[in-house]
Amino acid sequence: MSPAGRGLLLAAWLAALALLGTLVERRLEVGTDLRLFMPTPRTAQERLVLEEIGEGPASRLLLLAITGPDPAAAAATSSALVAKLRDSEQFRWAANGEADVGTLPDDLLAYRYLLSPTLDHERLDAPFLQAQLQERLRDLASPAAGFLEPWLPRDPTLELLRLAEAWQPSSQPQLLHDVWFDAAGREALLVAETRAAGFDPQGQREAADALKRSFEQVRTDPALELVASGPGAFSVLMKERTQGEAQRLGGLATLGMVLLLLVAYRSASLLVLGLLPLASAGLAGLAAVSSVFGPVHGITLAFGFTLIGVAQDYPMHLFSHQHRGVDPRQNVRALWPTLATGVASTCVAYLAFLFSGVRGLAQLSVFTVAGLAAAGLTTRFLLPALVPLRGNDAAESAALGRLWDRLAGLPRPLWLGAAIAAACVASLALSSRPLWQDELGGLTPVPRHLIERDSALRRELGAPDVRYLILIQDRDPQQVLSRAAALDPELGTLVSNGGLAGFDHPARYLPTLEKQERRRAALPPPAELQAALDTATATTPFRPGVFRPFLDDVERARHLPALGPQDLAGTPLEARVGGLLLESGDHWTGLVTLTGLTDPAALGRIAAGTEGATLLDLKQAAEDLVANQRTRILWCLAGSALLLVLVVSIALRDAARVGRVLAPMALTTLVVLAALHAGGMSLSLFHLIALVLAAGLGLDYALFFERAADDPAEQRRTLHAVLVCSLSTLMVFALLATSSLPVLRAIGVTVSVGVVGNFVLALLLTRPGRAP
Amino acid sequence: MVISGLLEHRADGTLVRRVESPFRETTELRGENVVVEREGNRTRRFSLDRAPELRGMLASFGALLSGDAATLRRHFTVTVHGAPERWQIELVPQDEKLRARLARIVVHGAGDRPACFTLTEPDGDATIMAIGVNDRADLPATLERDVLEAWCAGTAGR
Repeated sequence: MSPAGRGLLLAAWLAALALLGTLVERRLEVGTDLRLFMPTPRTAQERLVLEEIGEGPASRLLLLAITGPDPAAAAATSSALVAKLRDSEQFRWAANGEADVGTLPDDLLAYRYLLSPTLDHERLDAPFLQAQLQERLRDLASPAAGFLEPWLPRDPTLELLRLAEAWQPSSQPQLLHDVWFDAAGREALLVAETRAAGFDPQGQREAADALKRSFEQVRTDPALELVASGPGAFSVLMKERTQGEAQRLGGLATLGMVLLLLVAYRSASLLVLGLLPLASAGLAGLAAVSSVFGPVHGITLAFGFTLIGVAQDYPMHLFSHQHRGVDPRQNVRALWPTLATGVASTCVAYLAFLFSGVRGLAQLSVFTVAGLAAAGLTTRFLLPALVPLRGNDAAESAALGRLWDRLAGLPRPLWLGAAIAAACVASLALSSRPLWQDELGGLTPVPRHLIERDSALRRELGAPDVRYLILIQDRDPQQVLSRAAALDPELGTLVSNGGLAGFDHPARYLPTLEKQERRRAALPPPAELQAALDTATATTPFRPGVFRPFLDDVERARHLPALGPQDLAGTPLEARVGGLLLESGDHWTGLVTLTGLTDPAALGRIAAGTEGATLLDLKQAAEDLVANQRTRILWCLAGSALLLVLVVSIALRDAARVGRVLAPMALTTLVVLAALHAGGMSLSLFHLIALVLAAGLGLDYALFFERAADDPAEQRRTLHAVLVCSLSTLMVFALLATSSLPVLRAIGVTVSVGVVGNFVLALLLTRPGRAP
Repeated sequence: MVISGLLEHRADGTLVRRVESPFRETTELRGENVVVEREGNRTRRFSLDRAPELRGMLASFGALLSGDAATLRRHFTVTVHGAPERWQIELVPQDEKLRARLARIVVHGAGDRPACFTLTEPDGDATIMAIGVNDRADLPATLERDVLEAWCAGTAGR
């Protein structure tokens, strides 16, 4: 091709990439909900588990502590912060223990008679009112007089105070300066529920920012500090740490890669040209995923780019086999059957994830398959025209020649393969430790001191248990509420037995319509109430007529429609009830959250005795989900392994050759499994992804070694290609293996061991015999 | 309303107000917290911030009992009348917020013993605490406010 033609082609390719880039950029929507990488729920129970893990009130709860030298300043900041968070878009509600009588808006104040339990066992008659007024007189003689006095004309029975007390958490920390403090009296404690789900790091990030801003606006003393804890805070922290470390290691890896390629090919233009298939792969992958799935998950992107790193190998094979006197296009034609087999079989392996039932993995699959196909095709059809004709011939390297001669002299110990396989299988089979990691959070572990701090805060605040939860389901929200309320006596018994510290459910805030109507019916008509009140007031020093606002409120309450879940919009009750009473499709679910549970078995019996109620053990349920998911993925992988054998068989058409090509890869997979297990690691989904990546790499190495014909020069070129490919890959993943984060380390170690195993075993088992 | 009971000022600064008749109620002022427990009622807890008059009382009590004039002057404008054998101290809170709830405290006493604490609210209502009365017979027969005030001022030298 003429230099002008090459320039035109390069320009056209770059333009196409730029165009695709803009298209993708315009459509790209990056999601961050980690649940995309969790199993797709298939039963109602599984759906609930996942919803609860990511969206339940426990997962949205942030536990906050304000510390500083002056507790009074911390308390004042706590009050101001709660007010600020209540107004914030990012938070559903916030509490710091202030029994704020004003939490009910004025137009709902009359509802106190429908919401408070007083009328279940009392009547607003003369004896009751008289007893209440006596109590109020005593209140007025007590130190509480100051803040009760203004409410008495409107609320002589202190119904509002009863409600405010009833809505406080069942067990709460000590109050200092009217707000929650830890037992030592040094930290002001608060809780806030975010609107974003716990597993939505982006939403949690926004909530964390809003929290920080609010705190800085309201803090009364620069010495004060705010600490936030909880699932959401952790997901933000872990995301940032993972991102930071991945970026740092990625930067190092890129630098190393550039150096390695410059050493290997001594050409800056090849270095740049080699990036084109990779760039095409990335953009094609992105375009495919965003057109199939819409929003692309952030993790899909991160892993996807790791996985299509293999595409960097394709141009290297071309470059390494390039030598004087050969047109690159002719060269690529000769390499293509081998390269195409590698690309096709790797794509087949990644297809397994499409059927894994995990949305994030399906995205990853589409991304990788589209990307690798694009890289393979551009390497075959576009790149050769751009490769300069002259360049280094790897075959001329004396060092490489000596290395190859020495390698060729190595025995081909076929028995070794069998021995390794047997040893690996035996070590895996004989081990007593579980092979798999079942814990959902196992790969993003939160630092130990933060966990300890979290449980300390949780204990102080009496925050709900993140593991156990009772669910009550029915088509009718009223049924859910009435069953929740019916649990009160039994749960109360468990609390007094010490098996439970406290509990919360929607009926604590919102009684059933029926109950509200019964209370309303118990309210006396105006004349009757007036008479009763007059009788009661006559025995006290209270001025007659002072309770006019009370009479008005009761009369208003007598005509109020009972409150249902849909009437709470815009009220402070909306947030409290909304988190505990959820509508999904034609179902309503009530949550009974538990605090300080020590006797799950007793709780299980209580739940079993209530219609429509289930005790959910989120930890157990999540582990079951993970195990089921894994089984499914393993089956998919088995299927794709069969397909892979089929692809290779069709390409090579010779059982002996097929065996030589597949043996190193299969053996390496066993070796990696055994090595990881021996190293004390439990395998997770990410190890599986990494294993597939390693297998794809191994297959390429074996295919090229197997291809290397009898021509010694071509053999050296192949050795050069595979050396460059494996060294560059090893460098990238060995860097990842040094990460402090288990998820990055899992991938790094797996692929590193896999690359070494594949290279060595392909060399020993697949390389052609010494040229005669 | 007339109530009687015990006031206890502990070494750690805690003030306990124990009402024994006509009903039983215990109020404990410790640090920043007030806990009111009344027979047949739920325990009520609140912060001293909600009851500034209590903070004033606590400060004056502690300072008076320990003879800490400096503390007293920090919180109140202090006016003293009378002679050592029959004296009267008027305390007007310096804090504006406190003055909105508590106009003044007048302490009547004789020798080294305070006899009456009179807490007057800005609207004129008053709470009178007679200290050291162990027998109802020691008090005037009718417990009207003016009678009691006169008793505090006049019979302080019991």
